[in-house]
Amino acid sequence: MSDLVIETTGLRKEFSSVRGEKRVAVSDLDLAVPAGGVHGFLGPNGSGKTTTIRMLLGLARPTRGTMRLFGQPVPEQLPHVIGRVGAVVESPKFSPNFSGRRNLQLLAGAIGAPSSVVDSAIETVKLGGREKDRYKGYSLGMKQRLAIAATLLKTPDLLILDEPTNGLDPSGIREIRETIRDLGESGVTVLLSSHILAEVQQVCTSATIIGNGRLLASGRVDDLLGAGTAYRVVVPDPAAAADVLARAELEVTPHEGTLHVEAERPEEITRALGEAGIWLTELTPLRADLESYFLRLTEGEQLGQGGQGGHDGHDNGAIA
Amino acid sequence: MNRLLRVELTRVLCRRAVLVLLAAAIVVPAVIGVARVLNTREPSAEEVARAEQLIAEERDTRWAKRELASCQKDPAEYFGGDVPEGDLEQACLEWIGLSLDNYLYVDRLELAEERDEGAGFAVVVVLAILMMLAGTTFAGHDWASGSVSNQLLFEPRRPLVWTAKGVVVTAVAGVFSAAVLTVYWLLLYAVVTARDAGLGDGVLLDCLQSGWRGAGVAAAAALAGYSLTMLFRSTVAALGVLLAASVAGGIVLAVLGVDPVWNPGLNIGAVIRDGMPYWTEGPCPNLDDGVTYGGDVCEVEKTLSLGRAVLFLGTMLVVFIAASLASFRRRDVP
Repeated sequence: MSDLVIETTGLRKEFSSVRGEKRVAVSDLDLAVPAGGVHGFLGPNGSGKTTTIRMLLGLARPTRGTMRLFGQPVPEQLPHVIGRVGAVVESPKFSPNFSGRRNLQLLAGAIGAPSSVVDSAIETVKLGGREKDRYKGYSLGMKQRLAIAATLLKTPDLLILDEPTNGLDPSGIREIRETIRDLGESGVTVLLSSHILAEVQQVCTSATIIGNGRLLASGRVDDLLGAGTAYRVVVPDPAAAADVLARAELEVTPHEGTLHVEAERPEEITRALGEAGIWLTELTPLRADLESYFLRLTEGEQLGQGGQGGHDGHDNGAIA
Repeated sequence: MNRLLRVELTRVLCRRAVLVLLAAAIVVPAVIGVARVLNTREPSAEEVARAEQLIAEERDTRWAKRELASCQKDPAEYFGGDVPEGDLEQACLEWIGLSLDNYLYVDRLELAEERDEGAGFAVVVVLAILMMLAGTTFAGHDWASGSVSNQLLFEPRRPLVWTAKGVVVTAVAGVFSAAVLTVYWLLLYAVVTARDAGLGDGVLLDCLQSGWRGAGVAAAAALAGYSLTMLFRSTVAALGVLLAASVAGGIVLAVLGVDPVWNPGLNIGAVIRDGMPYWTEGPCPNLDDGVTYGGDVCEVEKTLSLGRAVLFLGTMLVVFIAASLASFRRRDVP
């Protein structure tokens, strides 16, 4: 019995234009999301995140490949597992002339959930007081909250959230992130699709990164970002410190009056400098930022031109 | 399924556009009915007096005097062999047009006529159009708002979702139209009875049955509108296709020389009226003497039966449903 909540093998999605041209949105994607925790699903816009999610939820038909949710093949067994899955796909989509409450009541009615569940969901996302207003009068943030409330109608074991903080104000973003983190800690598996690395860093324990519909990397977030392998070193005499660190066989790069040092562990740096009588002013782990990280991973990729021949065969593990 | 039916019923009855169309489905027949009742009311004493005055004025003209005198002098010239007995002067006045019937036009309310050619037929057509609009706007709204995908996240069995929506749209349109048409005919019947105008045997039942068949047409129109909207995923596209088919369809059939029996409008009429006469080209009839008159091909009158019309329209509807359902099952949902 697999402990994977989401599993795809060789998943591929092609779209055909009117002229018969094919565009590959997802190319032979092997995705594995273990049970529990918050799993980031990262990729730049147009990388195939939403298409993958839509296929998992039965909204789009894969060109080929297999998908499993809770070990059950989907879309064949989707009706049997959908009750355990809550999802927000892209922007919230509700009937604009109905109130937020009416929209939730209709969805709850489809699964036989009592009205108390609707009340609870509204309270959880802090929509109380506005739930009887028409949906079309909601701000984007309120729409996002309503969409998240809809996912809570089922009490899901798996929550799939596609860019859930889009349009939220800073306090709303923080609340949603806290909610996601709490859900992950409570045993719900959360797949958080985002192109915001900082969001994933703050919330997720593991992540999968895709580009052009292909798997680029997958693993623990700290591993993916290379945390602990490079440090920013500030000392009174950078030149002397650079000599000492070089003699200790560490890779040193001067950078605007500071040093960037590659090391397995920070003790290697402090010990070498301490033994030379050089005392640190500052030692900071360096992490990749969003832009440089994606540029590095997606270097040479051209959006919309994925395909079997171009698949580089990354396996679930560390970044190449 | 019951849960989905309840949800869809709530959805359809909470949609403002649908409610407006249902309100129109009450108001328009009511206006038509009231207009018919008013237009067929008995003339007032003032109207009769005014008409009699006009007749008297006309009778004083030289022309009328000459014609009346001539008629009375030689009635056979005017009436041929059927010279009326009794009041010859009155008969001559009527012959030359100086009668109340000519000066006081009275349109009588007759249920049989209303059912076949009058406002009753128009009411059914109006209801069918309104219900078709309700079917298209109900489905089109879901696609326009994108809420179809949200619904499928709660019930991914697409045929079930399609069926629940279709059943509700059809049932609401059918029941509502049947209620409106039943009330319409009962009220007209009450008016005719109150006027003591006289009714043929079984006319009311015929009218009610025609109304219920009309309700079936309205329900089918709603289902067709819904099916096409689910196929094209757009109210505008579905209505565009239906409008083009209704406007250009008859013309194209006529240009191609296709038998009118394939005209959807004629078939709808045949369902409502329990058979519909139509003219088409056919072999000229032979008379008793065995001689064919008028050449080889003549315009002959035929009747399109209710059964054939139901079969034709039903087949069209099944094709719409099959295409719509297959499309909804297979295509990606945005």
